[in-house]
Amino acid sequence: MSFRTMLATSVIVTLALLAGCTATSSSGSSSSGTPAGTPIGAGHGQVPAHIPGSPASVAVSLAETGSTLLYPLFGAWASAYHRQFPSVSFTTAATGSGTGIADASSGKADIGASDAFLSSGNLVQNPSLLNIPVAIAAQQINYNLPHLGAGVHVRLSSAVLALMYEGRISTWNDPAIARLNPGVPLPGIRVIPLHRAESSGDTFLFSSYLSTGDPHWNAAIGYGTSVAWPHVAGARAEEGNSGMVTGCAATPGCVAYVGISYLSQALNAGLGEAELQNASGQFVLPNGASLRAAVASFVPATPANETISMVNGPARAGYPIVNYEYAIVADRQPTVAKARDLQAFLHWAITTGNSASYLGRVRFEPLPRPVVSLADAQIARIR
Amino acid sequence: MTAVATMPAEGQGTGPGQLRAGGTPAILRLLLVGLTAGSLAWGIVAAWTVSQHASAADQVVTRSEPLSLDAQQMYRSLGDADVTATTAFLAGPPEPLAVRQRFEADIAQAAGDLAALRDSAATAGSGSTSATLAAGLAAISASLPVYTSYVAQAKTYSSLGYPLTGGSFMQVASEEMHLRLLPAARSVYAQVNAALAADSAGATGLPWIVAAVALALAIGIALVRTQAWLRRRTHRIVNIGLLAATLAVAISAIWLVAAFLTARSDFQQGLGHGSGPAERLAQAAISAQQARGDEVLNLISRSGSTSFQQDFAAMRARIGPGPGSLLAAAAASSPAGPAASAVSAAGRDASRWYAVAGQVFKLDLAASYAAETHLVIGAGPQSSSAVFGRLESDLGRAIAADQVVFRRNASAGRGAFADLEAAVIAAALAMAAGSAWGLSRRLAEYR
Repeated sequence: MSFRTMLATSVIVTLALLAGCTATSSSGSSSSGTPAGTPIGAGHGQVPAHIPGSPASVAVSLAETGSTLLYPLFGAWASAYHRQFPSVSFTTAATGSGTGIADASSGKADIGASDAFLSSGNLVQNPSLLNIPVAIAAQQINYNLPHLGAGVHVRLSSAVLALMYEGRISTWNDPAIARLNPGVPLPGIRVIPLHRAESSGDTFLFSSYLSTGDPHWNAAIGYGTSVAWPHVAGARAEEGNSGMVTGCAATPGCVAYVGISYLSQALNAGLGEAELQNASGQFVLPNGASLRAAVASFVPATPANETISMVNGPARAGYPIVNYEYAIVADRQPTVAKARDLQAFLHWAITTGNSASYLGRVRFEPLPRPVVSLADAQIARIR
Repeated sequence: MTAVATMPAEGQGTGPGQLRAGGTPAILRLLLVGLTAGSLAWGIVAAWTVSQHASAADQVVTRSEPLSLDAQQMYRSLGDADVTATTAFLAGPPEPLAVRQRFEADIAQAAGDLAALRDSAATAGSGSTSATLAAGLAAISASLPVYTSYVAQAKTYSSLGYPLTGGSFMQVASEEMHLRLLPAARSVYAQVNAALAADSAGATGLPWIVAAVALALAIGIALVRTQAWLRRRTHRIVNIGLLAATLAVAISAIWLVAAFLTARSDFQQGLGHGSGPAERLAQAAISAQQARGDEVLNLISRSGSTSFQQDFAAMRARIGPGPGSLLAAAAASSPAGPAASAVSAAGRDASRWYAVAGQVFKLDLAASYAAETHLVIGAGPQSSSAVFGRLESDLGRAIAADQVVFRRNASAGRGAFADLEAAVIAAALAMAAGSAWGLSRRLAEYR
């Protein structure tokens, strides 16, 4: 699986991104390692009156495809849901967000899993598609400084990271880094920035963070699923999140941006995890509290279609690189039974499926209650 | 004055139906009543016909065409508001005063036009067309404040230092514009244009004018035959009263036909070379605004998706100037003069703009966002912003010129009916009086 969380603003994962993915598939009914099924409605109250609480009695198969980051979570959801409602079976596939969006648009898949919401251009071309957030995700910054002890988190800011990726900070003991990390024995080894080789939502999120903190980066390079990376001696391009983790592990002095669900792999590989400076000047690690805090500041402003960028928001305790993961679904379905099953399953996913037993394994966080309500309003439009 | 000869002996004359001599007074009475009634009927039918055509012509000039203009202005103002807002957002805070004023003027213009159209729809009565129009206007009324609130949120987040959040709100605003407001505005424009075409057709429709001319012919024939019969019966060469009635019906009928043909020609000219090309150019202007939005939103979203580029290509094909495009259709129907030259300029500037847009999308593909931004919103004469501005100006001039053509022809068409209603009534009265006088004089000779 090659990628992770993507942006929050307008990213459509590109064909290049898709090309970097290895497609795999499974049947929901045969998945293993799933958390025990939890009763419907647990954790988030009752099923709204306009959404069916259970699927149709006829047998229906739901096809999910898309985000590799969401793939394990969808597999777990599919397995648990099938156990509870045997009439609903699933096929899930890790094909990349772009394929998820394309297949949901064309009707080849019932659910397109995406790390990004649809751009306005895509929505205008496919006005029947809904972006339904299903969980909160984030991006971490990892580094390879072997001699630093466990439990030490190097503090980095968007401005300093921008200078590191521009090559204007070339060693880890540069005064600009040292000022952020008093008392930390930073080594004098060369900074090796790693970036994604392919067009990526991760690159969009990371470059967005840099753009918000460094006017020079914003003016000269900017943000996007692809950016014109400055030439830096030793800098490397890696395929996917796993490539970023293994590449960084093999490169002392590296700095890399990686999806939150790869945290365990990164720590197991001996990589450090940075505390990032947010817009309030606070240094925070990506954890449940900081992710929830970051999202909470945007909840009241979330538009009805739930497309919102939350990078480097105003929350004092918020982690700066957070986003929603999305299910892309058409609001018109070929049969009443399929529409009903999609409604029931998606509501289950954002309520019961948002419990820690499902999200904890990928380090996602549950949706805030008002966002669930907005999502339910979108789910109710499926017919 | 009646030229008098000798009265014929009873039973010697011939006349309509070879009637008995003793029946001549009865025939004269019958003719008197019939021709007088026919004359009055002509007056009623002709006046009513003129009234209908004049009223429809007046409706076109005073109501339908202004409403069409309102609908078009609303449509274009909404499209321009979206382009202005996204361009201003891309330029970043602080928002230039002129740009903010342009956005506010667009919204005010759209709101004003919306109010005028709602007032008109409220007085237009019921019916499926009115219901469709009302539904479109209601959709715009509901969505316009939603759109402006999203734009305001985008600006607020941007000015507070969260440009990416602002960018997502700008995209949501643009979705509201393109998925709800513009389709509703397009529907309203189509409805109002259909009403304009229907009113124009009403001003030049055939059925009543044919009936009126047929009646005039019938009365004219009756008058001529009556005079011929009287000439044979009385050996009087001329019956002044009936002659005057005949001349009156001939003159009024010819005037009516001439006015109708003039108005029909004027309206057809106005529709074919005025409102028709203006409508196509308005569609081209909206499509150009949407394509400009694709350029700008692509730069805001930086999604790596080709959806904006695909939409730009679709809009480009629609705008033209290639075969089957809106500009090609407008060029074929715009009259020579200012409209045609502006359409030609629009075609040239559209092609130049597409060339610049091609560079823009290449830069996007290379992730050269700084250069792309400079090309999209820069102030240089070869920037996309500048070339698009020239295209907009060309289209605006062409639309205005076509509207002048329509207004001039519609006014001329309406003018063709001026004084005609009074004239046909006067003619009918003269015909009735002439017929009554001319025949009563003959009738008196039997007392």
